[in-house]
Amino acid sequence: MGSRASTLLRDEEIEEIKKETGFSHSQITRLYSRFTSLDKGENGTLSREDFQRIPELAINPLGDRIINAFFPEGEDQVNFRGFMRTLAHFRPIEDNEKSKDQNGPEPLNSRSNKLHFAFRLYDLDKDDKISRDELLQVLRMMVGVNISDEQLGSIADRTIQEADQDGDSAISFAEFVKAFQYL
Amino acid sequence: MPDQFNSNEGLTIWAVRSAACKSCDGHRSCGQERAGSRSYLCCGCGPGTGPSPTLSLLQDPGPGSGCSTHLAEHPTLAAPALEAQLFVEKFEGALGKGKGKKFYAYKVMMMKKWLKFQRDFENFKTACIPWEFKIKEIESHFGSSVASYFIFLRWMYGVNMILFGLSFGLVMIPEALMGKPYGTLPRKTVPRAEEANAMNFATLWDFSGFAQYSVLFYGYYDNKRTIGWLKFRMPLSYFLVGVGTIGYSFMVVIRTMAKNAHDDGGGDDTSFNFSWKMFTSWDYLIGNPETADNKFASITTSFKEAIVEEQESRKEENIHLTRFLRVLANFFAFCTLAGSGYLIYFVVRRSQQFALEGMDNLGWWERNEVNMVMSLLGMFCPTLFDVISSLENYHPRIALRWQLGRIFALFLGNLYTFIIALMDDINLKLEEEKIVRYNMTIWEASLYNGTVPENATAPPIQVDPADVPRGPCWETMVGQEFVRLTVSDTVTTYITILIGDFLRAVFVRFFNYCWCWDLEYGFPSYSEFDISGNVLGLIFNQGMIWMGSFYAPCLPAINIFRLHTSMYLQCWAVMCCNVPQERVFKASRSNNFYMAMLLFILFLSTLPVVYTVVSIPPSFDCGPFSGKTRMYEVIGETLEHDFPSWFAKVFGYASNPGLILPFILLMVLGIYYLNATSKSYKEANLELKKKKQKEK
Repeated sequence: MGSRASTLLRDEEIEEIKKETGFSHSQITRLYSRFTSLDKGENGTLSREDFQRIPELAINPLGDRIINAFFPEGEDQVNFRGFMRTLAHFRPIEDNEKSKDQNGPEPLNSRSNKLHFAFRLYDLDKDDKISRDELLQVLRMMVGVNISDEQLGSIADRTIQEADQDGDSAISFAEFVKAFQYL
Repeated sequence: MPDQFNSNEGLTIWAVRSAACKSCDGHRSCGQERAGSRSYLCCGCGPGTGPSPTLSLLQDPGPGSGCSTHLAEHPTLAAPALEAQLFVEKFEGALGKGKGKKFYAYKVMMMKKWLKFQRDFENFKTACIPWEFKIKEIESHFGSSVASYFIFLRWMYGVNMILFGLSFGLVMIPEALMGKPYGTLPRKTVPRAEEANAMNFATLWDFSGFAQYSVLFYGYYDNKRTIGWLKFRMPLSYFLVGVGTIGYSFMVVIRTMAKNAHDDGGGDDTSFNFSWKMFTSWDYLIGNPETADNKFASITTSFKEAIVEEQESRKEENIHLTRFLRVLANFFAFCTLAGSGYLIYFVVRRSQQFALEGMDNLGWWERNEVNMVMSLLGMFCPTLFDVISSLENYHPRIALRWQLGRIFALFLGNLYTFIIALMDDINLKLEEEKIVRYNMTIWEASLYNGTVPENATAPPIQVDPADVPRGPCWETMVGQEFVRLTVSDTVTTYITILIGDFLRAVFVRFFNYCWCWDLEYGFPSYSEFDISGNVLGLIFNQGMIWMGSFYAPCLPAINIFRLHTSMYLQCWAVMCCNVPQERVFKASRSNNFYMAMLLFILFLSTLPVVYTVVSIPPSFDCGPFSGKTRMYEVIGETLEHDFPSWFAKVFGYASNPGLILPFILLMVLGIYYLNATSKSYKEANLELKKKKQKEK
C-alpha cells in the first residue's frame, strides 16, 4: 500500500496540491493512502457508496449532505484533487499563515470559507438563504419524532428570530457569519 | 576563519558531507539535492556574479557554472557566510548532517515519543474515570439533572474510598496483623453465654457474635500503648484516624464547593442559543452506533431543556398573586413540619416512658411506635410537599431545591429521634458499668476463694477469657446501631427500587393489554426518577457513616460496598424502568446545593462524635481508650512519652486561651477580608460582561 501510494502520486502533483490547499507533504501522502483505501473499485475515483462506508458519516444525520459537498455539480465521481480541495476546508487555521501572502486568493481553510462550506450544507436550494423549511428539515433529521411538530416549528422560528437582522425571515450568509462570531 | 574553510573539518561545518557538487566536482562539497530538503549551494557557485551573494549561496548551482573562487577569497561573501555558518553550526543536527545528526535525530524521536506518551496518558486517564459511559448514557436520555445525582454518587464513592483507606490501612490492618489474636484477652473473646449461637447467620446479620468481637468494632481493640515489633501506637492511630476522617471530609467538601463556585459565575443565557444548538449540536467524531443513539437522545433532551427555559422566561407573572400563593405554600409547609416535629417529639417521650416501665408488657405497636411513625411520615410528607409546591409555580430547578430543603428538615427529625435513643442507651450502659465493676471485684475475690490477694507474687489463676465477666461496652453498641441502620437502609432502598420501580414497570407493560384503562398514560404509568429522595438518602447515609465510623471502623468498608452496588443497580433501574420527566430541566452547572447540604450534615455529624469524645468516659473494659478518664487524653500521653520535653512545654503555652483567642480573631478578620475581595471580583466580572453585551 505504501509503495503504491508513493509511486502513483507524482511529486509535481504533490507540489500543486500543496500550493492549492496548504497541506504539508506528509499530510498529503497520508491522505492519499486513505483515499486509496476507500477506493474499493481501484479506479482512482470515489463514488458516494465509498463515502458511506465510513461509519462516522453513515450515522451522521447530515452525512448525505456532507458527501454531496465532495462531488462537483452533477457528477458522481470525485478524483483525488477534488477530494483534497474539499478537505482543505477542514485544515486548522495556523497563526503564521495570517501574515503571509495577503494579496493572493484567500486560502481554502480561512474562517470565512469554512463558514461558507457549512452554510452550503444547510442551504439546499442554493439561493444563499436558509429558509424556515430548510431549518425544519434539519431539525427533523436531528431529533426524529421525539419532539412535536409545533414545538419544532417554534424552535425554527426562534432560531430565525435570533439570527435574522434584515427581517426577511431567512438567514443569509452574512447573518450566519454574525451568529457564529463568538463561537 | 579561512582555516576553517581550508581544512576538511571546516568544510563539514559549512557544507554538507555528501557527494560532490555536480557543477564544481568536489572542490567544495555542497548539499546534494534530496527529496524535501533544501539544496545548498556550493560555495561560490551561482548563476553568475550578479545577484546578491546570499541568494546565490542558497540557490541551486546552475549546470556548468564554474566554481572558481574559494569562499575565503571572495570578499563580499565573507560576512553573510559567517552568519550562514553560525546558523548551520547551531542547527547542524536538524539539517540532517554533521556530527550532531545522530543526537538530534534521537532528541526528535524522544520528543515525539514523549508527546505521544502524554497524549496516550491523557486518554488513559479519561478512560479510567469509572462509569463514565453509563452516566453519559443516562444524561443523554434523562437530562442533566438526573445525571447530576449519579455524578454526586460517584464523587461520594471517591471520598469514601479515601476514608476506607484510612480506616482499613491505619486501624484495622495493624490490629489484625500486630495485635493480640482472637481469644487471648477477655475483650477479644465471645463470652461463654453467647458462644452457642455466635456463628449463626442471624447473629452475624445482626452484627453480634463473632462479628462483634473482631476488628470491625471498637470493642476489640486493646489499650496497650504500642503493639507489635513496629511499636505501632494503636490508641493514637485510632484517635487520629477518627479526627482525620472528619478533617479530610470537611476539606474535600469545601474544596469542591470552592471549585464549583466559579463555574456558577457565568450566567447561562447566551444570545444565539437556539442557533448554536441547531447548527452545532452534532459531534462529528462519533463512529459508534450506540453512541450515536445516545447523541440523538441528548440533542432531543437539550432542545426540550431549552424549551423549558424559554417557557419559564416568558411566563406572565402576576406578581402579587404569585407572592401571596408562595407565602401561603410556605405557611402550609411550615405547619406540616411543625406538626411532624411535635409528633416525633411526643412519640419519643412516650417510648422513653415505655422503656422505664419495662419492655415486657408492651404490644407490637408500642415497641415499634417510633419506627412506624418515622416511616409513615417519610412516606406521606414528601408527597404532601409536592402538592404544596404546585401552588408556588417556580422554575423546576428552584422547585427541586425547595422540595429538597423541606424534606431535609423532615429527615432532621428522624436524626433527632435516633440520637436521643442512642444517648439514652449510652446512659443506661454507663449505669450498668458501675454495677458490673462492683460485681467484678466480688468475682475476683471468689476466684481466690478467700485468700487475700495482697501478695503480688501470687500467680494469677488461669481463667479462660470467655468466662471472665464482661463490662458493658457502649461504644461497640453505638457502632452496631449505626451499622444496623446502614444495612437496613440499604436493603429498604433496594427493595423499594425492585418493587416500586421494576415490578410496577412490569405490571404496566404486561397488564396493559387486558386492563380497562390505559395503564401507561393514566395511573399508575411508569415511574419517574425521584431525584430529591435519592439525593437526600445519599446525604443522610453519609451523615450516618461520619457519625459511626469512629466506633465501627468497618463502616466505610460497608459503605463502599453499598455505593458500588447502588451505582450498578440504580443505573440499570433508571434505564430499564423509568421514563424521563415531562419537563426536562437543566441542572445548574454547579452541584453546590447538594454540597451545601452535605456540609451541613457533616457539621451535624461531627457534634455528637466530639461530644462523646470530650465528655463521656470510655468504657473500662473495651476499646483502645479503656482505663483513661477521657478519650482525648491519648494525645497528652503521646506528648509526654514520645516527644522531647520542651515540646510539651511549647504545647502548653500554645494552648493558653490568651494565645488562642487572638488567633481566632485573626482568622475571622481573614475570612471577612477574603469575602470582601471575592465580592468585588464578582462585581467587576458582571461589569465586564455587561460591557461585552453592549458592544455586540
